[in-house]
Amino acid sequence: MNAWLAAAAVVVATLLPVGIFSFRGPMFDRVVGLELASVLGTLALVLLAEGFDRDIYFDLAVVFAVASFAGTLAFVRFLERWL
Amino acid sequence: MTSVVVDVLLAVGVSVAVAATAGVLLMRSSLDRLHYVTPVSVVSAVVVAAGVVVKESFDARGLKAILVAVTLLFLGPLLTQATARAARVEQHGGWRLEAGEKRRGRR
Repeated sequence: MNAWLAAAAVVVATLLPVGIFSFRGPMFDRVVGLELASVLGTLALVLLAEGFDRDIYFDLAVVFAVASFAGTLAFVRFLERWL
Repeated sequence: MTSVVVDVLLAVGVSVAVAATAGVLLMRSSLDRLHYVTPVSVVSAVVVAAGVVVKESFDARGLKAILVAVTLLFLGPLLTQATARAARVEQHGGWRLEAGEKRRGRR
């Protein structure tokens, strides 16, 4: 295991409490958990791409960053307008 | 030397991510928690991208890592602001200051 994979393991490990956090508590706390999980997931994909020495995984990180932003923003706007 | 710089950058990026996660989990209100989301997208992403660039230089990987960092750098605070606005609207029924409410954080 190189340093990149070790760093990715730590970031993925932080996703576990954030995931549990997103299942509990008030509505906007869950949204904050979703937002943090999106950023941590993108970071983990970058670290895994470098750790596994695969170019194509960087594309996944780029797509995930943009798609998770759009998804969370749609979710936030939905909560603001209708709930 | 390069590997030491990369290791230091990785340690900084991961430490900020772990500290921000702890902050989100430990704070009491949604708005307090939101403050801890932004450092991950601003500091961690940029530092990790810097680590990739130091190791790989400006090849395809380095440029893609910069693209991810720039995306998170601009979209992360935008999303945080949108979430704070939605929380404010949900709690107070509107975004504007209410009568008798003072703006905090400025003098």
